[in-house]
Amino acid sequence: MGTDTIKKYEKEFLLGLYERMFLIREFEEQVKFLFLEGVMPGTIHQCQGQEATAVGVCTALNNDDFITSTHRPHGHALAKGVSPESMLIELFGGVTGCCKGKGGSMHIGDVDKGMLPAIAIVGGGIPLATGMGLAFKMKKTPQVVATFFGDGATSEGAFHEGINMAAIWDLPVVFVCENNFYGASTHVNKVTRLKCIADRAAGYGIRGETVDGNDVLAVYEAAQTAVQECRDGKGPVLLELETYRITGHSRRDACQYQPKEERERWKNNEPIGAFGRVLVTRDDVDEGDLEAIRSQVEQTVVSAIKVGRSAPEPTVADLLTDVYA
Amino acid sequence: MKVKMKMPDLGTTVDEITVVNWLVEVGQEVKRGQALLEVETDKATMEVESFVSGTLEEICVPVNGVTTTGSVIAVIAVTDV
Repeated sequence: MGTDTIKKYEKEFLLGLYERMFLIREFEEQVKFLFLEGVMPGTIHQCQGQEATAVGVCTALNNDDFITSTHRPHGHALAKGVSPESMLIELFGGVTGCCKGKGGSMHIGDVDKGMLPAIAIVGGGIPLATGMGLAFKMKKTPQVVATFFGDGATSEGAFHEGINMAAIWDLPVVFVCENNFYGASTHVNKVTRLKCIADRAAGYGIRGETVDGNDVLAVYEAAQTAVQECRDGKGPVLLELETYRITGHSRRDACQYQPKEERERWKNNEPIGAFGRVLVTRDDVDEGDLEAIRSQVEQTVVSAIKVGRSAPEPTVADLLTDVYA
Repeated sequence: MKVKMKMPDLGTTVDEITVVNWLVEVGQEVKRGQALLEVETDKATMEVESFVSGTLEEICVPVNGVTTTGSVIAVIAVTDV
């Protein structure tokens, strides 16, 4: 991300990216401690350090485009426009949450915002995205679906079947691999001989590209190109976004498999700080602008937590509504 | 405001968690997410992070002391609430 790239865009657009990424970080940090305190039920998988992938991709999508997500969905949801309040109510199990308190962290989503409730099975969202792509094509709508998955998912059968079918039928699906180098605690090198996950695209006859997933503008530009190719009927694209989770795989994970040096290196290159440092090289942005955004976002999250904590739970009468199996 | 920080659920299979080392002294400022202490469980030795930003007022479990999930381990005076 160079100082030239940053000058191509409107200030408001860039500050919007910063705000969205910081919203994800602050949401995740606040939620992390609510879980550790034992205030919030269930378990969580968080995305601190991976904010640029979610924001970069979702910013390239229209409101009526769709995403599918994973067991680590909070960032994707916030980036696609699901409200922090409806998500916090959901995490607290409240009936006014985005999935009426029945989804929780791992099934968070909002169809009205273009996000299928998240699918926690590794690779599980991929065939569904292919199915949505087929529906868009048959209905002749210009919509696109972006499906997020991790490095681990690319060695699952669902990945092969989903991406191959999308390829043969030129479906409008952007396959977004967030390569954070660890499938839970297992390094990606232990599960594939490929140095580059994007190389898998060649096996399906589609275009693949590896992008710095901590550079929000690089992600945005790559996603924009991929989305346009999909809209033009040229078929799916595989984007590999290299990033790093600077928190545990799940709430109890102390990350002892991440070498300290490696972790520190990525922490120093985490996407929000990195973007902030380039943003202030513009004449019309200073640290005060960023600070104002951060404190406003903190307030948003704090108020959303208050609402979430006091939200009513579903009643027994709600037990069999919105349940399909 | 004073926050009583409780030992988080570390996913241990036994109840006992031993404090190995305090990384912050009483009177020192701490930031949310900063490692406060090291503990040893039946699974591993790990750091426990502060839930809040503020000043460490009291250490409730000494080094080598044994505690359990949900027990108060420290009192932190929160600065900006």
